[in-house]
Amino acid sequence: MVWELTEVPGNPTPLQHSTVDVVAANIVPKVTNTLIRQLNQVCPLENLRHVKRVRRRVVCGENSELSIILCLSTGPDNCNEGFPEEVQKIVENYHLSPFIAKVASCSATSKEEWEEQCRLWPTSYHPPHDIDGVSGFKEEELPSIFHCMRTAMQLSQVGNTAIIVDPSSMQMISKATDQTHQRDTCLKGNKCAMVEADNANSFPEAIEDKADTLLPSSSRFCNGLDREVSCINPFGWMKQRCTEQKTLPSEGGFLWHPLWHAAVVAIENAAERDRMTFPASTSSTTQPKLNGDVDNCSDDEPAKRLKIVANDEEQSTHPAHSSDLPERNRPYLCTGFDIYLVWEPCTMCAMALVHQRFKRVFYAFPNPVTGALGSVYRLHGKKSLNHHYSVFRIKVPEAYLNGSTDCSEKGCSNSVSS
Amino acid sequence: MRRNLDDRLPPLEQFVRRISGAPPSCARSLTLGAQPMPATAFMELALDQAKFALDNLEVPVGCVIVENGKVIASGSNRTNATRNATRHAEMEAIDVLLQEWQSIGLDQTLVAEKFAGCDLYVTCEPCIMCASALSILGIREVYFGCPNDKFGGCGSVMSLHESLLSDDLTGSQDTRSRGFKCTGGIMAEEAVALFRNFYEQGNPNAPKPHRPVRVDQQ
Ligand SMILES: [Zn+2]
Ligand SMILES: [Zn+2]
Repeated sequence: MVWELTEVPGNPTPLQHSTVDVVAANIVPKVTNTLIRQLNQVCPLENLRHVKRVRRRVVCGENSELSIILCLSTGPDNCNEGFPEEVQKIVENYHLSPFIAKVASCSATSKEEWEEQCRLWPTSYHPPHDIDGVSGFKEEELPSIFHCMRTAMQLSQVGNTAIIVDPSSMQMISKATDQTHQRDTCLKGNKCAMVEADNANSFPEAIEDKADTLLPSSSRFCNGLDREVSCINPFGWMKQRCTEQKTLPSEGGFLWHPLWHAAVVAIENAAERDRMTFPASTSSTTQPKLNGDVDNCSDDEPAKRLKIVANDEEQSTHPAHSSDLPERNRPYLCTGFDIYLVWEPCTMCAMALVHQRFKRVFYAFPNPVTGALGSVYRLHGKKSLNHHYSVFRIKVPEAYLNGSTDCSEKGCSNSVSS
Repeated sequence: MRRNLDDRLPPLEQFVRRISGAPPSCARSLTLGAQPMPATAFMELALDQAKFALDNLEVPVGCVIVENGKVIASGSNRTNATRNATRHAEMEAIDVLLQEWQSIGLDQTLVAEKFAGCDLYVTCEPCIMCASALSILGIREVYFGCPNDKFGGCGSVMSLHESLLSDDLTGSQDTRSRGFKCTGGIMAEEAVALFRNFYEQGNPNAPKPHRPVRVDQQ
């Protein structure tokens, strides 16, 4: 078994729930272009732009049959009345026999869904990230994608781990583990991780050496459910652990935080990196850092006016381009970045990833309890959201989980590359 | 140019600051009148927080958290200042409480008990992220102003406030999703008016924009 990458489609809802009826008629080939032109004028398919006007089907093995959409159906049974007048004229002039046909009401969100739609009536399909190939990644990216996931798994001693990667430079932007419980190592560990991430130009090789020592026991991953993972057991924070000491946090810090799932912490670490790398445009009021330090240096300064472009109700706005170069290089949130999670995120984390505008989300193990990206919900398929990322599941070879080092590093994609 | 910080804070924050020399337990006893306050009174305080966000060029959403009829925390959206798009008003207020409770030595169990006695008043329906967070914390009740058609997690896009008994795959009760009581439409026009301010004219106190103000809003 090799490493595999599979896209998790956002919208696998059965097609029968998402079709609309149209009135169509069979036509002869020589009038096709004329009719398309006329019908597009008198009866454009405004809300069905993804639907092709004409369907060509092979019937009885050899003859192809051409059908054209005349207009939307006004009722389930009547295919001879209630047309617009112009359409009625066309029906009469060309001696057409209208019939009711079903077409997909929304454009496809995955190739799988598109193929299903086309069995009804052809539609056009524009993959969400067509710059990167059909399904959001290039074949040659696979080794580094698998490598990033291996890195995340190696860092995952307890609970979930998230790493944020800029795929254009293969730079690690931040990494984090679950911090819903007080742990001896977690605060220190994440502080180090930040420093490492800042110098991680050579990522991912930097961590490769530690692979053997860091690889956790296979049982954690093989059991399917790890209750130490915050996203799988989001209410687990309420339980006091006997190993935990009652220490008071440093001022402004937290010993533990019920909402600090790995993805949430990784996002804050990336935001902190952004604030440190591009401080010129920082505004005044700063937030206590996750590592327990208080960032109060500019607390009494008036807010420097951010350059902001009003965006949407999602409590966030775009910084506009400024004239100075560093500012222009500044990323907007995590636009264009990937995040690797060992375990599928819960709804809170999955929505946090939408807010922070990630491009792609990769996870290794599904979360059947609260998983929001395929297992329980499919958040990335919600059409109302203002941002959509692609979601991929990475299947990890059992040999790797068992600690064998000689499993294939090349991997393959059984995604929609056919 | 330096200005007194207090000028930029809504009344509740000012009050908390004025008594901030006192130990946290005193700050927690902040009260806004002996009579039980109606939902609109708390929502007005949440709206003050939203206006504070607007004055700071943040999307105007604000909230207060109430325990035993008293406001014990407030928050306003700070996604731009922090460059962290998850820093919604709810998250800001929650962090105020967690810091305070941890600083007086409350452990997980006690913090969970505290949240179970808290209500949230927020000017806009909590998003899917915040609604999940409120369920994770076990907050008692949520009152919101206007609905959030694009991201709402309390009925608009998802219904995370409704408790859902997932299959108990781990053999434990801990994994059940817990709901909370949720009431919308409280002073919704006021909340919407702030959004309109933000999108249409921007911040009146801001310097004349030398950049285009793009509005994605449909
Ligand atoms: Zn989570
Ligand atoms: Zn929110």
